Amino acid sequence: MRFFSVIGVLFYAVIIILVGVTLIAFSFGLFQPQHISDTLAYLQSNNNSKMITGMTGFLLILISFSFAQLILGKFQREKTICFNTSSGEVTIALSAVEDLIRRIAGIMPEIKELRPDVIATKKGIVVDLRVVLKSEANIPELTARLQEITKSKIQEVLGIEEQIMIRIHVTKIITGEDKRKKETEKEQPSIPFGGYGRV
Amino acid sequence: MQSEESRTDLGSVRIHKNVVASIASIAALDVEGVKKIGGKFSCRILERLGIKQNCAILVEFNKQGEVKIEIPLVIKYDFNVPEVADKVQENVRAGLERMTSLSLKDININVQGIER
Repeated sequence: MRFFSVIGVLFYAVIIILVGVTLIAFSFGLFQPQHISDTLAYLQSNNNSKMITGMTGFLLILISFSFAQLILGKFQREKTICFNTSSGEVTIALSAVEDLIRRIAGIMPEIKELRPDVIATKKGIVVDLRVVLKSEANIPELTARLQEITKSKIQEVLGIEEQIMIRIHVTKIITGEDKRKKETEKEQPSIPFGGYGRV
Repeated sequence: MQSEESRTDLGSVRIHKNVVASIASIAALDVEGVKKIGGKFSCRILERLGIKQNCAILVEFNKQGEVKIEIPLVIKYDFNVPEVADKVQENVRAGLERMTSLSLKDININVQGIER
């Protein structure tokens, strides 16, 4: 862990411990609401203390922003597949791989909806697919085909030679009736003030 | 360092980071299979407002005068990503060497998405 990350973690740990200790002390009656109001009154008593309080608040906001960015940036950087070429580095965001897989749904008419989740591990790439199928689909045949197409597409487009594991979870099967119902709902436009009929 | 300076008999010539970013952007978009230059949401807003151009492309000059570029890309569906990335790196390198004569250290490609 880098020096600044350690400082950041320690800083937040100290702040949270202080808040915890204050709350415990307050619950045990070690200090009264009067003490808090006295402290707050002292902070507002003169211009110097006001300025110090304001600056502390501003610094705390800055520190939390920078650490949030550091942590989020770190997470974002980890979510990529990376390889080197002679001219430099190429990183592929896992969301790009998810985009690619989502396009496969267009190839297979039996798939109503496809939600991919790609995880890159040291062993290879794990793809979790949550699919909504149409009722006429043969599930074992379709899922096997989907696994095959997804795997070959990832290998072909991304040029990855690592192991690719594809897990499929069928979340829903839509029947023809559901589809027709939705279509008729769409086709019948609602007439403005249609509910006010003649008596 | 905002720009790379080179001296001639008549004076100095400075090439700003934005110039390098513009050349890299044009060279990258010239490659078949590149849909657009990616980047963060804030960059896209700045570009739309005309405040900053090519803000998504990061350009760094080191003390030796070498350039390091980072280009976020969105690639078209059905194209081989490593091949497109390789072509982009080559095209950007050729374009920058031809137009600026800068020495390039790294051209890093960051594929952020795939679109049709």
